[in-house]
Amino acid sequence: MTQKLFDIAGIGQERLHLAWVSSAEAQRFVEVVIDATESVKAKGEFDPKAFEYELAAAEMTLSGETLRWMVGKEVKITSKGDVYGRKWDVENFEIILDAVLEREYQKNLIYKAVKEGHTSVRDIHKKIGLDLKRISYLLADLEKTNKVEFTGMKDRIPVFAVL
Amino acid sequence: MNLESLAFLCNWCAYAGADLAGVSRLQYPPSIRTVRVMCSGRVDPMFVLEAFKDGCDGVLVAG
Repeated sequence: MTQKLFDIAGIGQERLHLAWVSSAEAQRFVEVVIDATESVKAKGEFDPKAFEYELAAAEMTLSGETLRWMVGKEVKITSKGDVYGRKWDVENFEIILDAVLEREYQKNLIYKAVKEGHTSVRDIHKKIGLDLKRISYLLADLEKTNKVEFTGMKDRIPVFAVL
Repeated sequence: MNLESLAFLCNWCAYAGADLAGVSRLQYPPSIRTVRVMCSGRVDPMFVLEAFKDGCDGVLVAG
């Protein structure tokens, strides 16, 4: 999931590797390490300053309640069923999980942008490059959950602030 | 260009594997820095993000 998020954030999942190596497989360990360093090399140097917003949003997303709950409930919902007794396919569940991941990430990115003083939809768009419509839609969502509030109009432009 | 990767290695599997690789004199890239954890399940996504924030170029989790 973190790899998927890295792709959404534009960091690239090539920077994050997960592998299983047993204690007796020294040769395999060497292969894994070479493999990982090669793909990191292909991506080049990583500049954390350029990805400040993305990293902050990723952190908020991965430590946030929504995803932790969803991941924690996955086995139960796909094997025993949800509260209505409906059993979900793993595939369907993962589709929804991916959508939630992207949505939460975008919401957190907007939250971060508003917090840093980009208070209008256009300002946020300029900073994070997300679609204008999507930003307004997610801002409404952030308002509903009391993360962001509408503070008024300034030169006929709606202004937002974090709570 | 000096790229650095951080590797989280499970004490019982990959860390022992890395140890064996050293003992049997297998060559592997010097650009990884290892962190021994008692289990790869101990690695939280937060650790990974922290690594990138501190300027690592890549992260490997091996168990």
